[in-house]
Amino acid sequence: MTFDWSVVWDHRVALAYGTVTTILLTIATMAIAVPCGMAFAALRLYGAAPVRAFATAYVELFRNLPLILVVYWAFYVLPILTDVGLSPLATGLAALSLNVTAYNAETFRAGINSIRRGQVEAALALGMSRAQALRRIVIPQALRRVLPVLASTWVSLFKDTSLVSVIAVAELAYVSMQIRAQTFRVLEMLTAMAAIYWLLGYPQAKIVDWIQRRYAVSE
Amino acid sequence: MTHLDASTDRPKAAGAKIIRYLDVVKRYGAFTALAGVALDVHAGEVVCLIGPSGSGKSTLLRCTNGLETIDGGDIEFEGAHLARDERGLRAMRQRMGMVFQNFELFPHLTAEQNVAEGPRTVLRTGLEEARRRAAAMLAKVGLADKAANYPSALSGGQQQRVAIARALAMQPDVMLFDEPTSALDPETIGEVLNVMKALADEGMTMVVVTHEMSFARRVGDWVAVFDTGRIVEQGPPHQIFERPTTERTRDFLSHLGWS
Repeated sequence: MTFDWSVVWDHRVALAYGTVTTILLTIATMAIAVPCGMAFAALRLYGAAPVRAFATAYVELFRNLPLILVVYWAFYVLPILTDVGLSPLATGLAALSLNVTAYNAETFRAGINSIRRGQVEAALALGMSRAQALRRIVIPQALRRVLPVLASTWVSLFKDTSLVSVIAVAELAYVSMQIRAQTFRVLEMLTAMAAIYWLLGYPQAKIVDWIQRRYAVSE
Repeated sequence: MTHLDASTDRPKAAGAKIIRYLDVVKRYGAFTALAGVALDVHAGEVVCLIGPSGSGKSTLLRCTNGLETIDGGDIEFEGAHLARDERGLRAMRQRMGMVFQNFELFPHLTAEQNVAEGPRTVLRTGLEEARRRAAAMLAKVGLADKAANYPSALSGGQQQRVAIARALAMQPDVMLFDEPTSALDPETIGEVLNVMKALADEGMTMVVVTHEMSFARRVGDWVAVFDTGRIVEQGPPHQIFERPTTERTRDFLSHLGWS
């Protein structure tokens, strides 16, 4: 068997577009899932009983479904339920956001719960309101604790965006598979795809390691 | 119950009653933590609450600024009933400083920021005034040079002194101390007690839950001995430590090797 690596170079523009789409998809998902995750965490911690139950149900549902199932579900069922036809990209973004929001909600909730009660009491004893204690004392500490977790979620998400290729979102995995189908250069394209994911993912993982060291909690 | 308010044994009793505990009851489920506690704290007094662990001293202190609610009786602060609503509680807490056993400094803030936090967030003094107060209070507890340090870079005794400065920055009328030296290494207890003694000498009204009997005796104006949710004896330190009138007080003090 002979290899023809020129196929990778020939399709460099398409691969570059796919790579950029993967990166943008990761950024957009996190941009949605961080505030939404905070909101769901707040609902679970401070909401009235029915709100809390709803938020808990949401988190437990999407945290425990395979992501690829959510992607298919968003693609086939969401348009029927909502009567809105979204582009594959928007559908993929929605599926990823539903999943990562659930994870982030759990991360934020655990982070806030990890701040011991004495901290809130010290804030209240100064005369702060509960909201001030949360904003000035609890949340800043919780954010430091969850930052390393969010960073690992980011790295997982970066790789998991490849799952939306099943609904024809033109990100890196989908583009690579398309080129493979047209050229029959299976090994070359899979290798190129692996190399791109790895070259982008490895530095991110190193940054996560650095964040975990930098924000290690010391009391 | 011995109320010696009018006698010469309580020289500061002429001052206004800042805190009045009126048969305070506190229950946790079936457990009665406070079974009717009556005690007055006058302006400028140092009142020490002593007694075995679990006898209700800390619970009473935590009821004073509303960190715990009471189930019976009443607490008056500066002539008014203890507030139950958040707005009233906040106004009251601003006038009561509290120091915790485990310091509870804010670990994400420097010593200076810890002390400035109350004035900034609660009193809305503005950053300059908050920093000015922080500098003054840190100097007062002898830690002017540690302003930029985070709590994790301070010893236990230093952390507790910052915590005292943090409470003082609100310019409270009363300071509540909840076993302020119980979590400290023996060699740093002295520096905290010295700061508290200096504060008492300035005339600060203080309620101190403590196991430091020598502090209660030297600095206290009035001592209340707790056991199983009750005050079994209260009086001036020389009475409590030299001529205790109840068996329970004698027992407690002898267990501590005091007699």
